[in-house]
Amino acid sequence: MPDVGRLLREKNIIFVTLALALVFYLISPRFLSLDNMSAISRQIVPIGLIALGQFFVVVSGNIDLSLGMGSVLWAIVLGVFFGLTGGVALGIVAVIAFSLMAGFFNGVMVSKLKLPAFIVTLSMLFVAQGLSGLIIPRGQQIFLMGGFFKFVGAEKFMGFYWSFLFLVALYLAAYIVYNHTRWGAYVIAIGNSEENARLAGIKVDRVKIGIFMFSALCSGFAGIILSSRMGFVQPGLDGNGLLLDGIAAIIIGGVLILGGRGTIGGAFWGLLFIGVINNALNLLNVEDVWHQVFKGTVILAALGANWVLWQSRQIEAQ
Amino acid sequence: MMTSTATLASGTPKKAIDSLMLRYLVLIGLIVIASVGFSIANENFYSLTNIGILLRSIAVLFLLAMGMTFIMLTGGIDLSIGSNVAFSGAVGVLTLVTTGSAALGFATSILAGMLIGGINGFFIGRLKLSPFMVSLATYALARGLALVLYDANSINVDNAAFLWLGGVSWGNMPVVIPFVALVFIALSVLLYQTPFGRDVYAAGANANTAFVLGRRPERTLVWVYVLSGALAGLSAIITVGRVSSGQPWAGLYLEFDAITAVILGGTSLFGGRGKLLGTILGVLLYGIIINGLVLTGTNPYLQSLIKGLILLGVVLLDTLTQKGKAA
Repeated sequence: MPDVGRLLREKNIIFVTLALALVFYLISPRFLSLDNMSAISRQIVPIGLIALGQFFVVVSGNIDLSLGMGSVLWAIVLGVFFGLTGGVALGIVAVIAFSLMAGFFNGVMVSKLKLPAFIVTLSMLFVAQGLSGLIIPRGQQIFLMGGFFKFVGAEKFMGFYWSFLFLVALYLAAYIVYNHTRWGAYVIAIGNSEENARLAGIKVDRVKIGIFMFSALCSGFAGIILSSRMGFVQPGLDGNGLLLDGIAAIIIGGVLILGGRGTIGGAFWGLLFIGVINNALNLLNVEDVWHQVFKGTVILAALGANWVLWQSRQIEAQ
Repeated sequence: MMTSTATLASGTPKKAIDSLMLRYLVLIGLIVIASVGFSIANENFYSLTNIGILLRSIAVLFLLAMGMTFIMLTGGIDLSIGSNVAFSGAVGVLTLVTTGSAALGFATSILAGMLIGGINGFFIGRLKLSPFMVSLATYALARGLALVLYDANSINVDNAAFLWLGGVSWGNMPVVIPFVALVFIALSVLLYQTPFGRDVYAAGANANTAFVLGRRPERTLVWVYVLSGALAGLSAIITVGRVSSGQPWAGLYLEFDAITAVILGGTSLFGGRGKLLGTILGVLLYGIIINGLVLTGTNPYLQSLIKGLILLGVVLLDTLTQKGKAA
């Protein structure tokens, strides 16, 4: 017989999300309409990509503050290449190559040179912000038109946006890698104790570099999807909002911020939770100025819950 | 200058002091070079008026960076101070506008800053959650509250008493500069001459040992974040005085500037090592560079890029030189 109390405790985010959805539905029946659900599924894709990258970083005991502003930079890189060549292929190759390089750089700084991840990625946040405004002429927008952007940004398959299906596929792949490969176990081991992981013969530096490359690649994908959905790019997009939403999603999803614990499923539910909240705030015409207050509070509350979870684990362990 | 190493020397090897002194000399050298460089690039740079303007524009950074020094000495970080400047400013300005009392405005501004600092301190010190996560949440929260309180608009302030600290100059000397000097002296006494100051170093050097010795590092942590919040509240008053209005986007990215300046000043990222004097020199150098970039009309995005590279470069340089010494 399943332990109901344990289920409630460990899967609480599912119940909270569903309860929240029900509340919003009672306030505004439009909330659960098919149109709105599919709007949510599209809104969460960039956040979801960044959250997935951040997931591996946080489980390994680090943080990547550059993911949000990074995706703004990658969106603009794609736009600039599109403006130059009129096509997308080169732009996408460039985004993937550059983002992997940026991730490699972060990873080397953190693993080989032992710099704290938050300082390295905080610097990179500013570097990305600077570059995003420098590679595009000041005050200009680049409009992104054509089949590819329409496909990524707006087309559906059996009622689901392609971008959402891509996100789900990526989460499934990540689930398999995280739970059923050695690499996934290494990530957890490093998050629990880097020293022990090293003693156990894990090539810690290499795994860490891989993690930062993956998270940067995720922000590259987020940039591509973000730009396709908007149909234009310009500097000054809100990268830090994306970063916060991504972090909120995984903390709410029960990822232990001290590293070493977390589930992909939890992160996905955390993402849905953020998606539901963001959507409801818009749908219920909550003024923009309240959004950040709300998010800051939600993250703090989730941190508190995270602490409770950690304490209960400590007690269980004893 | 407060360089009293005596109270600290007992636990610090002599070599570390020497390397800090060397760093300060290098910083002073760089400050001179940067000033000369910018005065060649822009002939207005070295006028007395501009030095006044420069010092006034970095006055807030002095205060915030000193608060950040306390935090980083404990091995922590506070990403919320920039947002906190906007939030505590909003509370202060609204109090001023509704009650007409500058004194109440000052008090509520500082209390509001301490409130955000207290939230940070509680989550970081008591619940032992990671400082960058917690302060990232309060970074969003405080900015959001500022936007709500201001309703996303700025509010003009014309109360002379409230604007005095940030706005008035004696000749070419902004009154805020002697004020910053007073705060520096007070904080130096706090850090070097009191048990609290020793606890700050102890918490950063080794929290577990400090705990075992009964130094209650968790309580120290709460107070350093409250102190940083109070300084953010003070900075808010100065910011409002400087521009004669309260603005919802005040203080944007100041946390980044403060962190860079503190690291530039030789405070270790891992806690336990560093001094307020270094932070002052770090702020001066960083402030001259940033001010010079603004004066020479550098593209703001290029400024961001340069800021990012400075932080990365300094951290990298520190790590590499320290590695060289260990070997």
